[in-house]
Amino acid sequence: MKFGRRAFLQFAAGAVGGTLLSPMPWRLADDTAIWSQNWSWRPSPERGPITTVPTVCTLCQGGCGIQARLVNGNRAIFLEGNPVHPVNAGGICPLGAAALQYLYAPYRIEQPMKQTRARGEAAGFQPISWSEALDDLVKRLARLKSEGTPGGVACITGSRWNSMDDLWARFFSAYGSPGLFKMPSHSDSLRATAKLALGKDSPLAFALENASYVLSFGAALVEGWGAPARMQAAFMRWQKNGAGKGAAKLVQVESRCSMSAAKADQWVPVVPGTEALLALGIAHVMVKENLYDADFVSRGVLGFEDWTDMQGKVRSGFKKIALSAAYAPDQVAARTGVDAAKIQGLAREFASTANAVAVWGGGQHNVPGNIYHEMSFFALNVLRGNLKSGGLVSLVPDVPFQPADDQTAASAEGGAPQVKLGSVPGTRVPLPGNGIYGFLDILTRGMIPPLEVLFVHDANPAYSLPENKIFKAALDKVGYVVSMSPYMDETAMTADLILPNHAAFEGFEDVVGLPGVPYAYYAVSRPILKPRKDTKHSGDVVLQLSKALGGNVAAALPWASYEEYLKNRVNALAASKRGAVADKKDIDLSRLQSSVSVSPNFKDGTDLWKKLTGGFCWYDVPVDVRSALDTDSGKIELAFRAIQGKGLNVEDDQVYLPHFKPLPPSGDEKEYPLLLLSYGMLSLSCENLANPPFMTKTLWDFVLKKNDLFVEVNPSTAGPLGMSEGSKAVLKTPQGEVAVRVHLSQAARPGAIYMPQGLGHTAYDEYIQGKGVNSNSVVEVQVDPITGMGTVWATRAQLRRA
Amino acid sequence: MAIDLDRCTGCMACSVACQAENNVSFRADESDKLRSITWLEVYHLQNGKEYPDYQFTYLPRPCMHCDSPHHSPCTFVCPVNATTRDEVSGIVNHIYPRCIGCRYCIVACPYHARDFNWWDPKWPKSMESMLSPEVSTRMRGVVEKCTFCHHRLLKARSKAYLDGIDPNEATYVPACAEACPTKAITFGNLLDPESEVAKLSKDPRAFRILAKLNTEPKVYYLSKHQWVHKLGDNSF
Amino acid sequence: MDKALIPEGVKRCPLPAFALWVLVLLGVIGWGVYAGIMVLLKALNLTGLNDYFGFGLYITVDLAIIALGAGAFFSGFLYYGLSRFFPALKELHKIINLAVIVGFVCYTGALAVLLLEIGQPIRGWFGYWHANVHSMLTEVIFCITCYAIVLVIEYVPIVLENRKLSEIKPLRLFGHNLHELMAIFALTGTFLSFFHQGSLGGVAGVLFARPFAYRTGFFIWPWTFFLFIFSAIASGPGFTALICRAIEKVTGKNLVDRSVYELIAKIVGGLLLFYITLKIADTLYWALVLAPEAGLKLTDFYWGPYGIWLLVTEIIICGVIPAILLLTPQTRQSNIIMFSMFFLNCVGVCINRFVMTVQAIAAPVMPFDKWEIYVPTVYEWAPCIAMVAYCILIISLSYRYLPLFPRERELNPAP
Repeated sequence: MKFGRRAFLQFAAGAVGGTLLSPMPWRLADDTAIWSQNWSWRPSPERGPITTVPTVCTLCQGGCGIQARLVNGNRAIFLEGNPVHPVNAGGICPLGAAALQYLYAPYRIEQPMKQTRARGEAAGFQPISWSEALDDLVKRLARLKSEGTPGGVACITGSRWNSMDDLWARFFSAYGSPGLFKMPSHSDSLRATAKLALGKDSPLAFALENASYVLSFGAALVEGWGAPARMQAAFMRWQKNGAGKGAAKLVQVESRCSMSAAKADQWVPVVPGTEALLALGIAHVMVKENLYDADFVSRGVLGFEDWTDMQGKVRSGFKKIALSAAYAPDQVAARTGVDAAKIQGLAREFASTANAVAVWGGGQHNVPGNIYHEMSFFALNVLRGNLKSGGLVSLVPDVPFQPADDQTAASAEGGAPQVKLGSVPGTRVPLPGNGIYGFLDILTRGMIPPLEVLFVHDANPAYSLPENKIFKAALDKVGYVVSMSPYMDETAMTADLILPNHAAFEGFEDVVGLPGVPYAYYAVSRPILKPRKDTKHSGDVVLQLSKALGGNVAAALPWASYEEYLKNRVNALAASKRGAVADKKDIDLSRLQSSVSVSPNFKDGTDLWKKLTGGFCWYDVPVDVRSALDTDSGKIELAFRAIQGKGLNVEDDQVYLPHFKPLPPSGDEKEYPLLLLSYGMLSLSCENLANPPFMTKTLWDFVLKKNDLFVEVNPSTAGPLGMSEGSKAVLKTPQGEVAVRVHLSQAARPGAIYMPQGLGHTAYDEYIQGKGVNSNSVVEVQVDPITGMGTVWATRAQLRRA
Repeated sequence: MAIDLDRCTGCMACSVACQAENNVSFRADESDKLRSITWLEVYHLQNGKEYPDYQFTYLPRPCMHCDSPHHSPCTFVCPVNATTRDEVSGIVNHIYPRCIGCRYCIVACPYHARDFNWWDPKWPKSMESMLSPEVSTRMRGVVEKCTFCHHRLLKARSKAYLDGIDPNEATYVPACAEACPTKAITFGNLLDPESEVAKLSKDPRAFRILAKLNTEPKVYYLSKHQWVHKLGDNSF
Repeated sequence: MDKALIPEGVKRCPLPAFALWVLVLLGVIGWGVYAGIMVLLKALNLTGLNDYFGFGLYITVDLAIIALGAGAFFSGFLYYGLSRFFPALKELHKIINLAVIVGFVCYTGALAVLLLEIGQPIRGWFGYWHANVHSMLTEVIFCITCYAIVLVIEYVPIVLENRKLSEIKPLRLFGHNLHELMAIFALTGTFLSFFHQGSLGGVAGVLFARPFAYRTGFFIWPWTFFLFIFSAIASGPGFTALICRAIEKVTGKNLVDRSVYELIAKIVGGLLLFYITLKIADTLYWALVLAPEAGLKLTDFYWGPYGIWLLVTEIIICGVIPAILLLTPQTRQSNIIMFSMFFLNCVGVCINRFVMTVQAIAAPVMPFDKWEIYVPTVYEWAPCIAMVAYCILIISLSYRYLPLFPRERELNPAP
């Protein structure tokens, strides 16, 4: 038969008809629908039994109890708060909730890397083995030590509330270099204040849970001041009826309507940087109207009344200063922008409400503040009598590790001359605090001996150090940069050698004390998973280096592993027979009193270790300030008596007392008519951890839109500059120039520009890189002349249309 | 569910915990909020006044699981029965493999509680390891939304059954309420007058968003500020 | 071959000219198909849609084209149904073929675009399989499918009238028999179409949590259900007339008697008056009763580009004015006015469909919501424009090769 057109058409029609009548099309439709539900490119999570492992979060210093949910014991899928833990009672912060994104981050470093090209070239990193990397490092360290220039080694670490802090200190003491520096923190200031006024080298702590009136001078309380989860819990209490005393009142003094200001019962807007002036104004009213705790002040405070200095000269006391005309309500009102009547009202309320406390700082960049201002805020607590036994202000207690520590400390001191860690050669400040800025400064200007090896541990100063170009400039003078970051961050990018640490939850860590918290705290964080990469805990690296260096260094750090070292510390803690483990629900640590000791509920070190690695924490009662006082006078010193012997000897009485003395920002006011301030959010990680994608998702589109960062400006400021919502603009400060967009907000004080912290990374992956601007690149650091610490309060700025 | 806005500190832990619990996908750029998949979206409310009388608050918005008679606004319109309300638990669920992606439910929902998968959900390879097997991942072209962590309910019911308790008595907490560090989110059975959440719903500070539309949202908000009440429900 | 296909006794343009025209149309269709395939492959992120605007241009165009295609069923209803009682309506047979074709292309085109609109087109058939009887969309899906089938059945006999095809005896008989049955199909179609025009209106009207769209109603059908039917039948015949006029203009011939246009003008004018009266009543009730019940004011519904001008244009300029001018014999005399009014009428129904789709969701509901603006992308425009090109293509082909206009030969005697 000829297969003609007709036959073909018939065949085609028949085929179509036949197919339609067959089950095939239906089957196909069904199959494709099923296929669309199981696309191969749609990940199907592997199934398996789900278990829960309790541990403690070490992403920040907050010490939250958490539990990890694991599938098949090897895949962590979720982190939640541990309901038994007294700090967070089941709650968690966004960083904790997103923490697994660090564990599984694509930007983790697989194994040790060596830079084979010029510093900063991403393509130059070549993998090397751990033994190769450590051998090379040991050679360098051994040479410097044998050449008698151990000072050529330094370390910048972000660890301050864990045992790595102590391990580094041991290492540097034994090695003989003073070069151990910490990333700045507001607790440096709280420590300096305590040192000055109480003679104790511990940060101040505040029993905020028990307060019924909180006067906050720019403290970013609900944004996670100090220990974030603890602050959230305290805030929750203020909302509830605290111990039958009625809800606490929160008064927030701040130039911007921050989250804390919005959550406060009263927001007191002030001119940026005049918070301390307002505090002194309040002090003025309290003193003038006799609203202070006269009994406490007269018996326990030096420097309130006129006082005699070390040379026998009688000097004015704080009373005289506070009463001076400069701090009279009218004067203060004119400079702070707060009504005189309101100042008086605040003073009276603060003075008359039971359990009132003043807190401050940490609002802008978690950095130290101006010591005169810190002391001014502190003075309010002194006037209020908050430093009495059982008062609302005390010190963060030490964790008693002593017996074991002493043992090895002795051998550590055996070989090397005593060095003052963290001190900066060549600079002289009366009361040295965190010396990182001094160190970087001298490094940039040329240090003798030159710095040959710089470790960077648990920190990302190239990004997160305010005025980060200081760090970048200093790096040029460093012979060999060793990064210990688990992630390819900005600092690791500029390193010569990367010795990747475990990510959080992969190794043993601990938490020693909580910032701003009056009770003693210790917790151990056990790993929830085996390390996913070829990484080594930085503690183990330090121990291995020590062993290889031998001699007194090896003797000072005799432990086989960091875990061993922690066990040793826990043994010492157990041996102290102090404190107890919070192994039950609803233990209220804020009720602890220094006068009522707790009895230990652990048998020995092994038992304590077991309990601690079970996710429970150890706690002990707060410090009794009175018995802890360690000043020459035996009193709380409002006058800076201690600094006189340290090279500061001037006529002006004010220099020895809390007073208002802003550190002037650089730049010409005409060229830079505005002030730039930065702000933090609990939902935007701004220190050494880059914001995880889960949290980036929660950012407002008026904070970040595509890759543009928005600065908050009041419409009355933006209007005359010709800007409207979303306008593109150039923000210029003496530190640099960046492209931003403008978000008009009534939360912003006219004349000020507010910039979020935590954006503008140049490293990491597409989820992080290039989003917005790093506030640290435009803010300016002013060095406090008394403590030598870098402070940040405001930077002069100019905003113009792009 | 009751959410105390006075206690909410806008930390976003609820929203993050929700994403982690429910395998919510994320993209490199999430700043287009109109295409971002966020089951528990947080809104920024402000009182419209000028500095220094300005005030703002955050408002976390899960799905309201509307209790309107017969149907929720969304379940009423779904042509393929992909979204339905379980009349026992009151939870509005969404069956992803059945959804045809017509987005009628998105249009029907006045709370913007529903999000569409505009892209193929994709995770960085290493982060696929942190996906939970308890919640299925979605595919492109379907709608998804808050389920009040329905899988946790199922788990609680199974557990209750094994423990010999009536599964209908089983209680559970969704991830957001669990995560909240200030315990601003209370979850429970609104029908049980003794429950914490039922009591909160009768608090003088309580209000619901758009109560006037007769959607009968099962999420109550608490605020001491009248301006927040007004912004939540313009019928005040 | 081309010559052989052209109906006897009529003149058509030369093949090359026609081929060029078809090529242009195919080009546009190709562009749209490409855009459509991209949307299917890369998903809907290519569009301007988002979680705020779940519906956009695709749906608006679908609703509008289906309303305009209503000329098919309504003319059919008038011709096959009512002309028994009103003989004047017999006149409509002069244009009924065109009406059917317009309906056919509008509906099939709309279905094609609908395929792009859903996120999981592979599962589109779930609409039949897992139908939710409460959903207006289910009603739409079923009615639109059935009616599209009816339109195919109505279109087939017209195709079979082609000179070549009618030479084949079985086909001719089949076509003839279908013709006999056409009244039944037309009336079935009418019923279906009434229903689904209505359910398209219901789609918006049942959104009880969307105060812009929500309407109370009769039994399970909100008032928009009925308003959509009336607006569709009031504009559909006018649209058919416009198309017819366009063909006349392009070809330079008279294809139908002016009396047909006159008749359509009267019908459309009357229906439009009826519709617009109800629409105004509905708008007043919505503005004065429903909106306040939802805690809103009329002004809350209009902002920026979505201003009150839409309401004024839709009701006054494209409703009241055409109704009056079409019903006034003097103004109806003028072709310019008459066809302009048909045009305005069609614009009005398009605005209505746009407003009920896009603006209904652009208007914020939560008091802390803010207005958003929807801008369709080229991936939405292209398939929609291509669909129009497809409609034109089918009409062009039909006109060239099928005897659409019974009066064409008489009105254009060979010179």
